[in-house]
Amino acid sequence: MVLVLAIGDLNIPHRAPDLPPKFKSMLVPGKIQHIICTGNLCIKEVHDYFKTLCPDLHITRGEYDEDSRYPENKTLTIGQFKLGICHGHQVIPWGDLDSLAMVQRQLDVDILVTGHTHQFKAYKHEGGVVINPGSATGAYSSFTYDVNPSFVLMDIDGLRVVVYVYELIDGEVKVDKIDFKKTATAPSAH
Amino acid sequence: MVRKRVPDWLNSSLWSTTPADDRLHHYFPSPTTTTSSATFSEPTLQPPAPVPPPAASSKPQSTPTSPKLEIRDPVNRNSNNNSGGNDQNGDSSGVSPDDISRQAQLLAELSKKVINMWELRRIASQGIPDGGGIRSTVWKLLLGYLPPDRSQWSSELAKKRSQYRHFKEELLMNPSEITRRLEKSVGCDNDESKPEGRGLLSRSQITHGEHPLSLGKSSVWNQFFQDSEIIEQIDRDVMRTHPDMHFFSGDSQLAKFNQDAMRNILIVFAKLNPGIRYVQGMNEILAPLFYVFKNDPDVEMAANAEADTFFCFVELLSGFRDHFCQQLDNSNVGIRSTITRLSQLLKEHDEELWRHLEVTTKVNPQFYAFRWITLLLTQEFNFADSLHIWDTLLSDPEGPLETLLRVCCAMLILIRRRLLAGDFTSNLKLLQHYPSANISHLLYVANKLRTQAIG
Repeated sequence: MVLVLAIGDLNIPHRAPDLPPKFKSMLVPGKIQHIICTGNLCIKEVHDYFKTLCPDLHITRGEYDEDSRYPENKTLTIGQFKLGICHGHQVIPWGDLDSLAMVQRQLDVDILVTGHTHQFKAYKHEGGVVINPGSATGAYSSFTYDVNPSFVLMDIDGLRVVVYVYELIDGEVKVDKIDFKKTATAPSAH
Repeated sequence: MVRKRVPDWLNSSLWSTTPADDRLHHYFPSPTTTTSSATFSEPTLQPPAPVPPPAASSKPQSTPTSPKLEIRDPVNRNSNNNSGGNDQNGDSSGVSPDDISRQAQLLAELSKKVINMWELRRIASQGIPDGGGIRSTVWKLLLGYLPPDRSQWSSELAKKRSQYRHFKEELLMNPSEITRRLEKSVGCDNDESKPEGRGLLSRSQITHGEHPLSLGKSSVWNQFFQDSEIIEQIDRDVMRTHPDMHFFSGDSQLAKFNQDAMRNILIVFAKLNPGIRYVQGMNEILAPLFYVFKNDPDVEMAANAEADTFFCFVELLSGFRDHFCQQLDNSNVGIRSTITRLSQLLKEHDEELWRHLEVTTKVNPQFYAFRWITLLLTQEFNFADSLHIWDTLLSDPEGPLETLLRVCCAMLILIRRRLLAGDFTSNLKLLQHYPSANISHLLYVANKLRTQAIG
């Protein structure tokens, strides 16, 4: 039972001052084992804040990140799952699911966590699952101003993942979940 | 222990070295040890010649008559094999005739259809031999886990063991599993999206508002994270139990298995008892119980040691719960009042020593007696000795506390010469690192205190 937080696109301080207080009250240290951050934090203070939540932090570089040492993409293994992170601004067309599927196959991961669109998405294809946690601060994106703050918490338990989606809609935190299982053998390419 | 003035009771021939005398003394209990000794006038068994125990234990079977027992089965329950597999003992070479006879008595008692608890307690209070799983069975009887009626044993054991399994399943489940079961019960099936398809994954509602970051008091997740603090402490203490013993500590498979079992027991106990939860020290009380039960030569008993230990641990702790509750410290059931009782006992039996300790050198009994009492003397003597002391403690029909206080008092009296000669520092040091003593002698003295008015 491993809890992994997928979060990103905060764009602090340029587009948003801070996380919504309701989110902040829920994110307390000691519960989460890993944090996966898609990028665009943008400043060191946000990095430090995440470090206090959980020491195991994985970040990839977004186009506005001030720290240029973050990698473009990253892979890690948690339990039975291979996860990949990539901010997404490098993948053109932005947000295109087929192109993201290509990146996923390149990285050879079961779950690809990506961002940039500031919109939550969970998409399944033959190569695996793509999850976009959206923007945790609700910062405006390159497409639209109408953004709901959201992030994702994954509960990885054996071959099963429960993805809890936390969204701030009209000032209230709404939680949904998505369940999926990995088949024991790697999904075959069509 | 040499003293200036040796009291008579210390000079008793019980401590003589000739075997013949000892055997006889064991069958005719000295008048001071038991209150109602009149009920049995003759021994139930022939004094066994020093023969290997299996032979010895078959002898007593053949003598049926004894008026003292309420219910007695017909004679020839000679099948020694259903005495729970506890009729072999390793060497009789290092074992004195005392021990052999005690072992024979115990085996005789244990193989009866309905066990006379009073008689069992009497024999057990003199000490239980180490081999053959006798101690394991006797302790279970003394703690009320096994009923005196042997025919009920298998059903009782099965019931209790399945209850423990149930507890474990319920309480040791992690929240992921709990939510999964909740979903199943609510009926929302995770419909597997087509394995080879593409498409947006459908979102579903969470059941009962349960999510990992929930801050709600009734949330399974929240409780899990709150419990994790206690679980961490239990874990730490279990790792620290008896680091010198391979059974409990080290990298071996056995040690890890045992640590896991002890951890489970303590976690289940903590969750079932929210009032007292887990307090440091409970692991020390658990350790001897688990050790004895796990080392039972009977394979089935050893395999179920965890469940058996859990119930016996609960039973044992029930008499001492109040010592672990901080709020009750100053009440008249708390640890402070128990320590005061010890003080009183010492004053009754040895006023000179009491005065010297408490008044002259101002050694507050809390400094040493706290650990003696709350941990039932497990930390003061080596492991084997503490098992022997527990034989006596557990066989007290009034509960271990009375005997415990007497043993503590005896511990003080036995080193009175050194204490009287010492000041605060040396006395405190001595009491906090109690010197090794002859345990049988200690228990004998403690027993004497039961009937003596002044020492």
